[in-house]
Amino acid sequence: MIFRRIGGAALVLLIVVALNFFLFRVMPGDPLSGMMDPKLSAEAKDKIRAMWGLDKPLGEQFFIYVGQMATFNFGMSMTTQRPVWDELRSRVPNTVALLLPALLLSAALGIYLGVKAAVARGSLTEKLVIWSGAVSFSVPSFFVQIVLLMCFAYTLPLFPLRGSSSIPPPVGATAVFDYLWHLSLPLISLVALSFGGWALYIRNMMVKTLGEDYILMAVARGLPKGRVVWNHAFRSILPPVLTMLLLSLPGVVSGAVLTETVFSLNGAGSLLLEAVNSHNYPVAQAAFYIMALLTVLCNLLADLLCALADPRVRLGGEQA
Amino acid sequence: MKRFISPVALLILIFLSFIELSAIGLPESDTASAPPWSKPEWLDSSEAPTVLLRVSDSSPAQALSWSWNAPLNFAITGHLRGELVWKTPEKDFTLAKTASETALDINGNDMSFKRALGERPFASLPGVLFPTTGEYELSLTGSGDVTFRVDGGRWGWLGADQRGRDVASLFVRGVSVSLIVGLSATLIATLLGTSLGLLSGYAGGVLDSLIMRAVDVLLSIPTLPILMVMAGILGKSLVTLVLILSLFSWMGTARMVRAVAMSLRDAPWVENLRALGAKRSYIIFRHLLPEATPLLLANIALGVPGVILAEAGLSFLGLSDPRLPSWGRMLHEAHTYGAFTKGAWWMILPPGFGIAAVCLIFMDIGRRLEEMSDPRLKSS
Repeated sequence: MIFRRIGGAALVLLIVVALNFFLFRVMPGDPLSGMMDPKLSAEAKDKIRAMWGLDKPLGEQFFIYVGQMATFNFGMSMTTQRPVWDELRSRVPNTVALLLPALLLSAALGIYLGVKAAVARGSLTEKLVIWSGAVSFSVPSFFVQIVLLMCFAYTLPLFPLRGSSSIPPPVGATAVFDYLWHLSLPLISLVALSFGGWALYIRNMMVKTLGEDYILMAVARGLPKGRVVWNHAFRSILPPVLTMLLLSLPGVVSGAVLTETVFSLNGAGSLLLEAVNSHNYPVAQAAFYIMALLTVLCNLLADLLCALADPRVRLGGEQA
Repeated sequence: MKRFISPVALLILIFLSFIELSAIGLPESDTASAPPWSKPEWLDSSEAPTVLLRVSDSSPAQALSWSWNAPLNFAITGHLRGELVWKTPEKDFTLAKTASETALDINGNDMSFKRALGERPFASLPGVLFPTTGEYELSLTGSGDVTFRVDGGRWGWLGADQRGRDVASLFVRGVSVSLIVGLSATLIATLLGTSLGLLSGYAGGVLDSLIMRAVDVLLSIPTLPILMVMAGILGKSLVTLVLILSLFSWMGTARMVRAVAMSLRDAPWVENLRALGAKRSYIIFRHLLPEATPLLLANIALGVPGVILAEAGLSFLGLSDPRLPSWGRMLHEAHTYGAFTKGAWWMILPPGFGIAAVCLIFMDIGRRLEEMSDPRLKSS
């Protein structure tokens, strides 16, 4: 079962790589025409093409390309002439440091509020959940973030306006504090924007589950309320919740680009935007590939968690 | 009453997207009509407003009652044969005097103009022409058509942006972009998703697993990065944007239609149709598609917010046509030109609330359509 999931993840990655490969080659001319001096002789042009491996047949090029992607050999950046991997390596941890806590915190807050809203129907919590759910599906994240930046970084100078660290960067233990301080407003905004969707989803499922007969049975047995809600009702909706975690990942990664742009954070998303804007295709491809890779890996992880949480999936897998 | 709110709001938006800007008293959205960063007119009445005085053959004199300090600057444009006189409570100035039809393009900082008025080159002309509060008058003798623009710090309903364009005009223009992109991309995506879903659900087999695999893959790739890469490579025009957005939003529809088609494929009445010798295309188009239509309508309405948000996100990242004023583009410019460090909230709030409002409207309509197609949802 695990092998099938890994196979699926590999397929997704292969398709991303193929997409990258062919998008790069549908451009008018060839990828190098923008870089080469038109006054160069035809021989020199052929030499440069051979240097980049563009003289080989398309199939072989693709084969080589897949190998390069698998070994993180992304070539040279067109603007800085440094290896792309060097540029990416410093950026990816920033993205992960933003997304992982944001995802976990919003899921935790959403689960807590959603369950609470389902237990206390008609309460203030339920109204909050319904409204924040509607907001999280309709309000553009970057707009809220700009407004937060305007209120809490400019008008009230509580948070830094831009960047991942102060200039000049502090040293020692203050550096960690400084980094967290720069991360806090983006993180808070992401959590505030996305917990509503979670909470609404959890509430809807919990309301249905709490109406089931076995819950009534558990209550009739005199079990404590908290135990009925969490151990009986919530436990049974855990697999779909994990599936939702899985499905929300691409959206979360997409949101990273916007968040990093608004707060000028040095992440993979802002690198992608810079690369797209400066037609720096090797970097753009690599940043996109890394973001897809992150998504696929988290997907795989959530898949495995799902198997752990749902005995039906686990047992079914072992039999197959 | 409540159920009319979103349809009426949608009708108003459609009306706004078709209307000429001049019909509702707004200037064109691509011209600078006020000083950059002007506040909304109603915001701060202690600051001088931006005023346009237009005199022509049909209305040769315009009065202005001025109760503020001197404005920032002024400009005179148009054409004139004759004399243009500016009457202040203290003194009269002849701003221009021409013997033949002459085009005028005068800026208040122009040294030669200051000399012509008999002022020193370092004099501040707005201070000279607006020495005090009181009644002023611009009058034209002869013929011509002259616009006298007094630049204050306030302008229009929603102020001006970093290029001095009217924010209210940009906002109204943005309505049409949001609606066009949202509706057309969703329609294309629905068409694509419906055909693939029907094919997948009714035909089954290899085709089905192939299409569903594609859906799974597309659903597990982050969309915005790939849209960015595609917009960067394929260009920023509106048509490209609509096409790539629809290419990445058909998956949900396909899944839903497939489920409907699969549940109907083995239904007894469909089996009877097959037994009667009905062709596959006949069953699909005359029986399966009508069954799915109510759900599809709801699906279209519920799909629009996602597309609008994606478009706004791409435009916010600067990956949209720069000549086309869309709400995402407005936020992009507000962000890159530092609107909030200038306190220019009027550049940020209108487009943001506009996007949110359109999304809420479509979500509400979609929910209602869903309830109409499945009344069980209503009771909960």
